[in-house]
Amino acid sequence: MSLVTTLWSMEAAAALTLAVLYGVVWTVDRRNLANLTLCVVAIAMAAAARTEVGMMHAGTVAEYGEWVRLCYLPLTFALVGQVVFVDQYLGTGRRWLLWTIISVRLMILAGNFLTYPTFAWRAVVSLRHVPFLGEQVSVVGAVELSPLQWLSVASNVLIVLFIADAALRLWRRGSPEQRRKALVAGGGVGVPLVATIIYAQSVVLGLAPLPLLVTPSFLVTMIVMAVELSRGFLLYRQTRQELEELRSELTRAGRVTALGQLATALAHELSQPLGAILRNAEAAEIHLNSPSPDLEELRAIVSDIRKDDRRAGDVIDQMRALIRRRTLEMNPLPLSELVQDVMSLVHSDAVARHVALDYVVAPGLPLVSGDRVHLSQVLLNLIMNGMDAIQTSPGSNKRVLIEAQPREEGKVEVAVTDTGPGIPPEAIAKVFDPFYTTKSGGLGMGLPISRTIIEAHGGRLWAERAPSGRGLTFRFTLFQAQGAAS
Amino acid sequence: MNPGIVYVVDDDPSFRTALTRMLTATGLSVQSYASGGDLLTHLSSDEATAGPGCVLADLRMPGLDGLQLQEACAEASVGLPFVFLTGQGDVPSAVSAMRQGAVDFLDKCAPQHTLLAAVGRALERDANARASRDRHEQLGRRFAGLTEREREVLEQVVHGRMNKQIAAALGIHERTVKLHRSAITTKLGVRSVAELTTLASQAGLFEAPRQPCP
Repeated sequence: MSLVTTLWSMEAAAALTLAVLYGVVWTVDRRNLANLTLCVVAIAMAAAARTEVGMMHAGTVAEYGEWVRLCYLPLTFALVGQVVFVDQYLGTGRRWLLWTIISVRLMILAGNFLTYPTFAWRAVVSLRHVPFLGEQVSVVGAVELSPLQWLSVASNVLIVLFIADAALRLWRRGSPEQRRKALVAGGGVGVPLVATIIYAQSVVLGLAPLPLLVTPSFLVTMIVMAVELSRGFLLYRQTRQELEELRSELTRAGRVTALGQLATALAHELSQPLGAILRNAEAAEIHLNSPSPDLEELRAIVSDIRKDDRRAGDVIDQMRALIRRRTLEMNPLPLSELVQDVMSLVHSDAVARHVALDYVVAPGLPLVSGDRVHLSQVLLNLIMNGMDAIQTSPGSNKRVLIEAQPREEGKVEVAVTDTGPGIPPEAIAKVFDPFYTTKSGGLGMGLPISRTIIEAHGGRLWAERAPSGRGLTFRFTLFQAQGAAS
Repeated sequence: MNPGIVYVVDDDPSFRTALTRMLTATGLSVQSYASGGDLLTHLSSDEATAGPGCVLADLRMPGLDGLQLQEACAEASVGLPFVFLTGQGDVPSAVSAMRQGAVDFLDKCAPQHTLLAAVGRALERDANARASRDRHEQLGRRFAGLTEREREVLEQVVHGRMNKQIAAALGIHERTVKLHRSAITTKLGVRSVAELTTLASQAGLFEAPRQPCP
């Protein structure tokens, strides 16, 4: 086998491997279009390699013409792929320029298959045979150029300008990482492209008796793209890990904040059983000091003390569960039970503030998938916010309503509505900003943390005006658990 | 003497039972209620005893909370002193409770002697209030026996006027004034002008005349 065939086959094989790799990456995570562009460029590279070998081994003018013609197809995809890659990777490309380039290149491609032999060439007049890598290969001898060939050259110049412009704009933003990206993407894609244009144009104009080749320089481009993207993966993983840690910290901080709110309610819950135990013990003491202690009464007292002790223990368990856990523990949960648990926690607070707590759960609501403690925290935060909001409004109808109903695509939506004064529409988006608060004693962290928790569950949390027009509604979505309904 | 009834009001059944048990064991008579509404219903019914008492109420309750119950009692002219119990000593509630005349404001886990002392003070305060109210009413009844003219004369006497001055001021004969005065002392059962003055001031009659500034 000739060296040309061997080398070009290897090139095609390498390109196809990359194509498969990044094709798979893109199907798994479709957010990054740059992965798809590398896959497209790599497939085009493999195809272009085949046409190059075809040209070099062409025996007749007609055969050569056919291969040149075919070469336009992979070339178009390779060029468009590179342009879109730069646009996606740098994010600073001018969109109108991008679309102009894509349309011109597609126009040239369409025109190419309507003319013979190619869009840019009227006719291949003769072939020459020159030595190349130890063998005789066919190269173009004389061609009749069409004036349209300059359109092709112009489109290539546009591509170079687009890349240079995008790289320059990113460079000007100035962070070291941005400058590095601008340099690598601009240089790694732009320089080989310029080299290819100059080389091909010299061959076509008969200045150099060499085969018409694009793939060697595009191979450099492809490697630069692959290295950059894999670097992106590494950074992405690292960033993601940092984000996870941050999120975990944040939710814990949130629990501490929520505990502050909770402490008041819990102190009351605890003081009931503890007070009862104390009074019972005092009563028992008095009875024991009497000459004939009433044993029946003493037995009743001891039994009550034990009951109240258990009650106090339960309250402490609830609190401990809130402090302890760090990571999400996803389980199928019955929402109605969750809502009731939280409502019992805030019950005494609601009573003290004369707020009616109501909840409506749609019948046959499926179980949701979520972390009991974290979701309790979100609900607690939303209900407490609702009660705080009501506190500031003088109205008589003080009510916080919690609703849960199924939504499309296996989702469940929970809404917490208060009858407070509401907030102006322009401020609604701001309530999720950290440190934004309307309360004198508020930290402004409850809602951002709640949103983080819901997003970690794959759901969404947002605010809107209450349907009645009075007060505010917070809604969040959760996914229903796989399997049975509650 | 019967020290009075302690009305315990708390929505938490186990705390209510325990508190009632302890107070009863110390020899107090206790009546317990699950809500402020229940207590008000009882107090306005015929079963209510007229004797002294005090209310020992939880501050946080559904329906009427402690402070609202205190207000409702005041409006219904039930002058029972209040001692509040709470799970947490929140300052604003304590301030308004004391401003409304609460005897004390205690933690639910307050020591026994503190609690009993507060209850004792509350009962004592009610007993004293009732006694002074009774004396007041009695005095009122005694003064009510006087005629219109006798009251006018009494006012002049209390203000330290001589018979002659009184006669001139009221446009009557001096002897008539003397007759009125003896009728007054007989009706009120007093012997001296000093005693008369004290009694009149206890009954809250006649403001002292304004002294001109020197």
